[in-house]
Amino acid sequence: MTQPAIVKAKIHSVRPVAVGHFEMLLESSQLAAADPGQFVHVRTPGTLRRPISFSRLDRVHGRAGILWQVVGAGTGWLSQQPTGGRLDVLGPLGRGFPAPEADRPWCLIGGGVGIPPLFAALQIWGDSVRAPITAVLGARRGDLLVMVDDFRNRIGDVQVTTDDGSQGGQGTVLGPLAHWRARHPNGQIYACGPTPMLAEVAQLCRGVERVYLALEQRMGCGVGACLACVVLAQGKQGPEWRRVCHDGPVFAAKELVW
Amino acid sequence: MVKPVNLEVAVGTVRLANPVLAASGTFGFGPEYAGLANLARLGGIAAKGVSPHPWPGNPPPRVWETESGLLNSIGLQNPGVEAFCREYLPFLARAGTRVVVNVIGRTVDEYCRVVERLEAEAAVDAIELNISCPNIKEGGLSFGQDPVHAAEVTAAVRAVTQRPLWVKLSPNVTEPERIAEAVAAAGADALTAINTVLGMAIDLKRRRPALGGLSGGLSGPAIKPIALRVVYQVAQTVGIPVIGIGGIRTAEDVAEFMMAGASAVMVGTATFSDPSTMERIIEDLPGCLQRLGAKSPSDLIGAALPGRP
Repeated sequence: MTQPAIVKAKIHSVRPVAVGHFEMLLESSQLAAADPGQFVHVRTPGTLRRPISFSRLDRVHGRAGILWQVVGAGTGWLSQQPTGGRLDVLGPLGRGFPAPEADRPWCLIGGGVGIPPLFAALQIWGDSVRAPITAVLGARRGDLLVMVDDFRNRIGDVQVTTDDGSQGGQGTVLGPLAHWRARHPNGQIYACGPTPMLAEVAQLCRGVERVYLALEQRMGCGVGACLACVVLAQGKQGPEWRRVCHDGPVFAAKELVW
Repeated sequence: MVKPVNLEVAVGTVRLANPVLAASGTFGFGPEYAGLANLARLGGIAAKGVSPHPWPGNPPPRVWETESGLLNSIGLQNPGVEAFCREYLPFLARAGTRVVVNVIGRTVDEYCRVVERLEAEAAVDAIELNISCPNIKEGGLSFGQDPVHAAEVTAAVRAVTQRPLWVKLSPNVTEPERIAEAVAAAGADALTAINTVLGMAIDLKRRRPALGGLSGGLSGPAIKPIALRVVYQVAQTVGIPVIGIGGIRTAEDVAEFMMAGASAVMVGTATFSDPSTMERIIEDLPGCLQRLGAKSPSDLIGAALPGRP
């Protein structure tokens, strides 16, 4: 595992990838060695850094991607950083996804800006999984969908849903997931997206052994010191708060209390 | 060329290699930042508050960024003093810096039980009482809101320890000097000023207070003027040392707090953005002192107080 450090990474490129969404490639073999599901804490002019998951990990060229939605001043500033400049990032941080089992059908469920870490997982582990791989990618509208072509370049079975039906099937990722789960009772499921979506994924996949969820939460330090970004998990003596930044952001669905 | 400067300061009987300590609640229990900061360079570390038994803390969201500040409502989550002594204190003892243990409780007895348990631990250099906790006996009003209750908890803890006893003042009172006087008379060896300032944020999308705990404590540069004013007032009122805290990010900020009467400072929120903040401040201090015409940090203490040349 790569030890977290402050990295002043050179910005290889920044580009818009959907309405209000940007992807940046950072030149850093240290970051490129991260596990899918891990994140960087990006320094912005504000009081706090911004946690952003890796969208791609190119270990050959030593480049790591991050993809975000502009929601405020910090992410707005980030989207205006020039190519060739340097970005102060702290990482790689947290516990990422475990490697998938090679012979279990694998389903990647991404909602909105939760899609990117699943692509990083596909990029790193896709070739090692011999069983069929499916991706179900959803967003509110078609113009908010990210990385669909990246998935399609790697696997055949990519299903898209939008709340308004402007791209793919109308509805949420849960419909296609329910079908997939019925066909693959021994499958493994990796998901990332808004917390209500992950709660439904956990509910729908109850009893499935390998379900892993990448969570988001308002975060402070990013290294486990401030205890801000907690989530309720099953402890030895009942429910207890765990740190999304340090104990997660990836948790097995069965660890969590909803 | 900046000459090497001895940055040592004293807070009562506690000698610090330099005046910069990590603030309680922002630096965990020590190990969390060990890979990112050189702990041995720091003047000291104030560990996160510990209670007699584990406290679960508040529901998330627990932090919310504001203009030049940070609101938090962590709810003093901690594993309890026993787990602290077993799992974290041995690490802090080897960190090569001063160890300050922040103590929390909901009754006078709870504070005393934590401090009594710490008596067995040689690694503790000072106790910092967080008197901003709600006092159950008084219907949840914090100990630090009232001179009588602030003095009561200070005197009770004083009776069970000879260790240096620092009391962390709340700014959420009309006259912090009255609280300062009361706890100094009750046996405090030093004061930390200030704890966070009460505040709130609203989440527009949810139409609710942004924090799970509804209101929270504001920290960061937004509260530096409030903290400076409290340090300035308190330093004139009591004869014991004051440790300044509130929005410090630079060596110049440290100098301001010292001129206002602080003998040392704590850095908190700035560490989240840049974990090397404290080391950078310590590196910058000699140059800053030179520019200000001071030979040592102690030269600055109280320089801005009335009656000083």
